[in-house]
Amino acid sequence: MRVSLFVTCLADQIWPSAAIGAVRVLRRVGCSVEFDERQTCCGQPAFNTGYRPEARTLAQRFIEIFEGSGTDAIVSPSGSCTAMVHHYHDLLEDAAWRARANAVAERTYELSTFLVNRLGVEDVGASFAGRLTWHDACHGLRDLGLKSEPRRLLRHVRGAELIELPNAESCCGFGGTFSVKHPEISVAMLDEKVEAIEAAGVDAVVSGDSCLMQIGGRLSRRGSSVRALHLADVLASTA
Amino acid sequence: MTDAARHQILRSIRANLAASAPSAPAAPVPRPPSQREQDADLVSRFTTQLEAVGAQWTLVRGEVEAARALRRILADAGAKRVAGSDAPLVARLLTERLVDLSRDELFTCDAGVTTAQWGIAETGTLVLESVRERSRLASLVPPVHVAVLSTACIVASLGDALARLDVTSHAITLITGPSRTSDIELTLVVGVHGPQMVHVLLLEEA
Amino acid sequence: MTFEAGARAALSDAQLRGALRHATTLFAEKRRAAMATAPDWEGARDRARAIKDETLLHLDRYLDQFTASAERAGARMHWARDAGEACAIIGWIAEQRGARTIVKSKSMATEEIHLNAALARRGIEPIETDLGEYIIQLAGETPSHIVAPAIHKTKGQIAALFAEKLGIAPSDDAAALTAAARQALRRRFAEADIGISGVNFAVAETGTILILENEGNARLTTSLPRTHIALMGIEKVIPRFADLEVFLQLLPRSGTGQVLTAYQSLLTGVKRHPDDEGPDELHIVLLDNGRSRMLAAPVTRQTLACIRCGACLNACPVYRQIGGHAYGAVYAGPIGAILTPQLIGIERAAHLPYASSLCGACRDVCPVKIDIPAVLLHLRAEVVAQHAGKRRVFERLAFRAYAAVMARPRLYERVMRLARALHITPPLRAWTKWRDLRPLAPRSFREEWRRGLKKEGTG
Repeated sequence: MRVSLFVTCLADQIWPSAAIGAVRVLRRVGCSVEFDERQTCCGQPAFNTGYRPEARTLAQRFIEIFEGSGTDAIVSPSGSCTAMVHHYHDLLEDAAWRARANAVAERTYELSTFLVNRLGVEDVGASFAGRLTWHDACHGLRDLGLKSEPRRLLRHVRGAELIELPNAESCCGFGGTFSVKHPEISVAMLDEKVEAIEAAGVDAVVSGDSCLMQIGGRLSRRGSSVRALHLADVLASTA
Repeated sequence: MTDAARHQILRSIRANLAASAPSAPAAPVPRPPSQREQDADLVSRFTTQLEAVGAQWTLVRGEVEAARALRRILADAGAKRVAGSDAPLVARLLTERLVDLSRDELFTCDAGVTTAQWGIAETGTLVLESVRERSRLASLVPPVHVAVLSTACIVASLGDALARLDVTSHAITLITGPSRTSDIELTLVVGVHGPQMVHVLLLEEA
Repeated sequence: MTFEAGARAALSDAQLRGALRHATTLFAEKRRAAMATAPDWEGARDRARAIKDETLLHLDRYLDQFTASAERAGARMHWARDAGEACAIIGWIAEQRGARTIVKSKSMATEEIHLNAALARRGIEPIETDLGEYIIQLAGETPSHIVAPAIHKTKGQIAALFAEKLGIAPSDDAAALTAAARQALRRRFAEADIGISGVNFAVAETGTILILENEGNARLTTSLPRTHIALMGIEKVIPRFADLEVFLQLLPRSGTGQVLTAYQSLLTGVKRHPDDEGPDELHIVLLDNGRSRMLAAPVTRQTLACIRCGACLNACPVYRQIGGHAYGAVYAGPIGAILTPQLIGIERAAHLPYASSLCGACRDVCPVKIDIPAVLLHLRAEVVAQHAGKRRVFERLAFRAYAAVMARPRLYERVMRLARALHITPPLRAWTKWRDLRPLAPRSFREEWRRGLKKEGTG
């Protein structure tokens, strides 16, 4: 199966291990992976903050780049960026653009849904010793219906023990620009999440989105030994 | 006076609807799942629900038993001044009930006795229709409300009850248990402005 | 007080945060338990939303039908374009009737038009009879939640309030406090000339208004006084009497976790016979106040489907932290964030659509499936397009620069390489005050790809 990687600008620059891990895992399960270097950003930050013309420009660019990929699927390590692509029809009023947007969105998957639902794979040959817990990032959970897929993948990781957080589905307070527009509220929400993570006695909290920056940033500020890992970091691990 | 307002509001509604993108007509309202009325255990479902919502009940057969039970219920509640609705049945069951009370007198009553036109099994609800009986205040002001309900008038669901209601009533009241509030720290307190005790006297025809 | 200041005050109020955590957690549990008792919860949501959509698409027709039916049954109808007009109408009726005592049951619409203040200016202030509203009226505050107005107050605070205002001994027993309120209000019900209520649903087919409650104060308010005035937003109308069933399945469960509230009053006009019980006259005031404008687009129109259950407040992780007063508006929480800018104008409420992390928990619990995040995003776009609210010079420049850079991949790479080389970190004090900022990775993904990851998979 030919896959085109939708790296996301955040993974590209700040968390490349998530994208590198995604590439390795996809290859391990038999996909060939291409990377179109013209890609930059899907436009989500602009869209979420109300800057639609800017978001529209980037959306159209994304569609132009990926519609010609000729691959079976476009796979991304980020739930929210994948959800953004699925919402392009909200941004484009022109009927022709909408059709093109929908055609691309149909082929665009978040990593765990691609593995579990499209490929039917739950065991990707990963090994990772430690107690893990999964944080349900909001867009993945509520826009894409991502719930069981990451958990099924993590349960097959040799040496890993998956603990369920009591408030796994609660928002961590990131919300993109919300985290800096309303930092005190963001951190109040974050601390409820972080306290639950610390109480769970895990070695790492795992998720599939930019939330990891928020959660990881607070954990390290609090001097916690709990690490924040991307799903692909764990799945690519053969340690 | 408000005619100009009426015209302007309606005009605004029409203009704004017209401005909205030519949307498809609203999807037809999906039909609710059909419910077959199960007569068999309506009474027991009703009484189970009454208990769940904090109401009490007594099942009697015939008016003689009903009158006795009513007197006992009122005595147990320590009710001396009892207001009655204008239902002939209430007059027969409790000859010493008080009627034609002024507002202030009503506020001094210990209990109110009325009938109910319907009972709803799925929720333990009593339905009072003003066109059939003057029971609005006797079922509301005194701290105890006793409602006499014929078991033949218990229907299965809220929908069944709505279908049977006589909308020429200017006031239809649905009563589910005693009055209550959780406004203080979400702590449940039973008995606020409406009655703090509801007792349903279920009457099976003799 | 600005939203930021309100939020900050709320976050530093330990008692409030405890009360909010307790209330929202409990409300969510009760709602979940109640949902499980519904025969077909998702089907009911779909049906209710379909009924609302049908009604809103023909709102003028259904309002006309409702008016005709209600008038036939003896109600007097009034139309109010805005809050001021509604207050004037109600004030005029009160003055005409020479009202000395007015009792009021809970109605968010009356809060929206600031009715109590308007009537107070005429020398008659209505007495709130719903326990939560009564508490905040005594405290001189506004409601902080759509369904439980005094949820921000602890039992201790209420006890102290009652001790001060009612002269009772302080008690930490909720039942004793409730009994004190009941006692204080009893006489007011008995002597009231006018009762003012809201309306939960208005049936076009029959002219019936439906009022839900638990305490019995709405029944007393609408049956004892000689005059009953009911205020309703124009979006409260539904087509058929039978439609009430699905809304009665959804609202109590979503709002308070009950299968049914203790009382539903279905009132159709006035009594037919002078000896019947109830008011001599019923005035229904239909309120627009910005609602008709929301009909103009499908994305905003759904705001009018709201049945005021408050479930979105209970589910919202932001509301859970800051409570209702921080929103600085009559309607708080997620529904408040979308309704308020549309009622009072985006210029005065430009910050509210941003008081959300867009998590979507509200959409999950809304009984009529309002896509609140979609409306928030729409309003954010409006704020930016209309330059509403505070000037965001830096932000606008930043996004324009971002779009320009992201549209040019080679420029993007060059900018990021430069930032990396110069160890540039954005001065995001708003982030770094509480959280460590993850730095740019030493090598970006695309650099790794070129350096060997691309070929790794082959050969």
